[in-house]
Amino acid sequence: MIEAGSQTEPREEASQQFSARIAATLVAAWLVPGSGHLMLGKMRRAVIFFAIVMAAIAIGGLLEGNLYRVLANQPLTVLATLGSMGMGSPYFILRYFFGYQGNVVAAGYEYGTAFLLTAGLMNLLLILDAWDIVRGRKA
Amino acid sequence: MPLSHGLLMSLYALLVSIFFAVLWKRERPHQIKLFLQLFAGMVGGALLIAWLMYPFPSGPPTPFP
Repeated sequence: MIEAGSQTEPREEASQQFSARIAATLVAAWLVPGSGHLMLGKMRRAVIFFAIVMAAIAIGGLLEGNLYRVLANQPLTVLATLGSMGMGSPYFILRYFFGYQGNVVAAGYEYGTAFLLTAGLMNLLLILDAWDIVRGRKA
Repeated sequence: MPLSHGLLMSLYALLVSIFFAVLWKRERPHQIKLFLQLFAGMVGGALLIAWLMYPFPSGPPTPFP
C-alpha cells in the first residue's frame, strides 16, 4: 500500500519544477527578446520576434530617440521607463555600457523615442505570450 | 539615417504589423491577412488624418534648429 505522503512528494516536486521552468522562461523572455519562445521550442517565432524587437531598438538608437529614465517631478516618466525597460538587457546595455541617453535636438528624436518605447512594450507582450504558452493556454 | 516622415512611419507600421500578425495568428494565411489589415490601417489611417488636418495651420516653428 502506498502512503499518502509518498504520493504528494513527487507531485510537489513536479509542481516546483514547473514553477521553476515558468520563472526561467519569463526571465529569459525579458532579458533577450524572443528567447522565451526559443526555450519553448517556437524557433521560427523566436527568430522573428528577436529580429523585430532588435530592429526597433537599432532604428530608435540611430534616430537618437529618448531612452526613458525616471525624472524628478515627472511621474509619467516612471511608466515610460518601465515600458522601455521591458526590452530587457538591451536597455541596460544601451544605458550603462554605451551611456546612451538620446539627443533631444536630433531630427529623429520623436520617432526614435517611439521606436525605443515600442520595442520595450513589444517585449512585454512577448513575455505575456510566453507565459500563456508555458501554461498551455496558447499553442 | 533617412528622416522622411513617410518612410519612418511606414517602417514603424511594418515592424508593428509583422509583430502582431505573428503574435496573434498561427496560420500563415491568417498572419498575412492580419498583417495587411494592420499595415494598411496604420499607414492609410495616418494619411487620412494628415489629409483631414491639411486645412489647419501648422503652428509656430519648432524651437530647435
